[in-house]
Amino acid sequence: MDMITAPKRNPRVLVVEDGITMRMFYRDVLEGAGFEVEEAVNGLEGVERAMTGSFDLLVVDINMPKMDGYQVIRTVREDPALWRVPVITISTEDKEQDALKAYDAGANFYMTKPVRPKDLEEMARLLTGTAIK
Amino acid sequence: MTIPLAQPETAISDEEFAKFCEFFYRKTGIMFDAQKKYFAGRRIIDRMDKLSCPTFREYFATIRFEASGAEMQRLVNQMTVNETYFFREDYQLKALVAGILPELAAGRSRGKPIRLWSVPCSSGEEPYSLAIYVLEYWPDADRHDIEILGSDIDSAILADAAAGVYGERSLQRLPPDLIRRYFSRVKDRGYRISEDLRRSIDFSQGNVVDPQFMRRFRDIDVIFCRNMLIYFDDRSRRETIEAMYDCLSPGGYICLGHSESMSRISSLFQPRKHADSIVYQKPAR
Amino acid sequence: MALVRHTVVATADDVPPDRDDWLADLTSDEASIRRRAARALAEMPDAVPVLCAHLANEQSLSVRSIILTGLIVHKSAAVVNGILPLLASEDANLRNSAIEALQQMPDEVAPHVETMLTHPESDVRIFAVDVLAALAHPKVPEWLRHVVTNDPHVNVCAAALDALAEAGEPDAIPALEGLAERFWDVAFIRFAVDAAVRRVRGR
Repeated sequence: MDMITAPKRNPRVLVVEDGITMRMFYRDVLEGAGFEVEEAVNGLEGVERAMTGSFDLLVVDINMPKMDGYQVIRTVREDPALWRVPVITISTEDKEQDALKAYDAGANFYMTKPVRPKDLEEMARLLTGTAIK
Repeated sequence: MTIPLAQPETAISDEEFAKFCEFFYRKTGIMFDAQKKYFAGRRIIDRMDKLSCPTFREYFATIRFEASGAEMQRLVNQMTVNETYFFREDYQLKALVAGILPELAAGRSRGKPIRLWSVPCSSGEEPYSLAIYVLEYWPDADRHDIEILGSDIDSAILADAAAGVYGERSLQRLPPDLIRRYFSRVKDRGYRISEDLRRSIDFSQGNVVDPQFMRRFRDIDVIFCRNMLIYFDDRSRRETIEAMYDCLSPGGYICLGHSESMSRISSLFQPRKHADSIVYQKPAR
Repeated sequence: MALVRHTVVATADDVPPDRDDWLADLTSDEASIRRRAARALAEMPDAVPVLCAHLANEQSLSVRSIILTGLIVHKSAAVVNGILPLLASEDANLRNSAIEALQQMPDEVAPHVETMLTHPESDVRIFAVDVLAALAHPKVPEWLRHVVTNDPHVNVCAAALDALAEAGEPDAIPALEGLAERFWDVAFIRFAVDAAVRRVRGR
């Protein structure tokens, strides 16, 4: 029996990170995992993009100019159109209180740099319900 | 010394162009893609030629390390096209009548006017566009007092704005019925906007970096500041945005041009989405 | 109703308050009054220490912004001395504003760079690298190369590597490749060094 499946669009992820090589790295990992990737270079631009794009996942760096990652997450969580988007935060900090701060702001997951490709890919898939190929 | 004008494809490698694009984007929010490489490349090579930079690498070092930022400013001037006409960037006019004005009106007591400020107003297309768009497309326009202000540093262009005469090109985005309603034909000169509209805009001459001038403007609800800040240096940009913050009422809005990004300027304003556009709001408190 | 014309007039200047009045206003409960005071004080070079001290306690972003704009205009050693400590602030906005301000003062920041880059906390060293990333000073590539070669912390090196991708010249390639060897087991570093080398080489 033939299964008729609806054409699936690739899941879309917004990477919010001020470092160019880091953005390239996340793009490489996430595109490899089948995501469509868009970028924002600071927190404020990240919020703007999140509001006007329609993303299945946000990957948000904590230390950024104009608006830090915690503020980005809080703003997204307060937006009725966006509040359910899963968010991975990425930080240089490795202290428990920073993880708690991230979860408090509304992050779904907290990772520390340097990020391992496999970890990012797995968490991205998990949070978007994307199957492993 | 002159250098032969090279072709962008050969003078600037793909890798170098990518580096340039990232730098330019980081600083201005303006993105060039591969299709724009020829356009951007031509202008870069023009500048390289004027500065006698034999390689792109040398030119890039200039814009990266020049403390004054003067060459970067010149490059930005070259990269952006500035043309004024009626209903320019009308997605923001749509955001105004579909989202901003209804929101402002909801909390507004009768008798308190809604104040819109177009700065720079140039030859008047923008403030008159605001007037026409609001009258035509905001159903509640009749129930409120709406003040429209226009300011520019150039008194000659303000005189043009007050005179209100425009060529065909300036009206090309207006539907014919609006042209009929708000303009009359002037022989050999084009179209003149109605006297009613001409008399309803308050035009003023001044400089946005002059604190004394800016102090005149208070309780403004929406500022249209489009395609001006991109041409300012960092200091003037900061000072202007800070001054405009004080001009605005709490909860007031500022709209920038499509090639400008508040995310490169200031974190004082909150991004808000109205009618699929991002505009910026001063916090209510 | 509908369009109403209102003429904006120039307001007469009141008797200008003196420095002490402005200093008093700086402690007002009203942010708009503090903003006005900050603007006025920002024009007085001898008010730099007061403004720097006030910054650390000022909660309103709009007042902070005006103070920093004023300090950037003064661009002196005193200003840099006053702003540098804010790099260690827990307040992200204050820290970011300090970084932005320092980025505008390359010559005044230069004498402090070595100290900033040897701060005991790796986070503060990262913020120092963030300043360099947009600093228009000819020694930036040299400073960044030094970080990439010598800093023990992988994230500080990652930040420097990122900044070098834009600011570096081909003479940075040995340092970049050395970094990839030093952190051979960190996938991100290998990737980023590769990207940075391409950028720096121009192909």
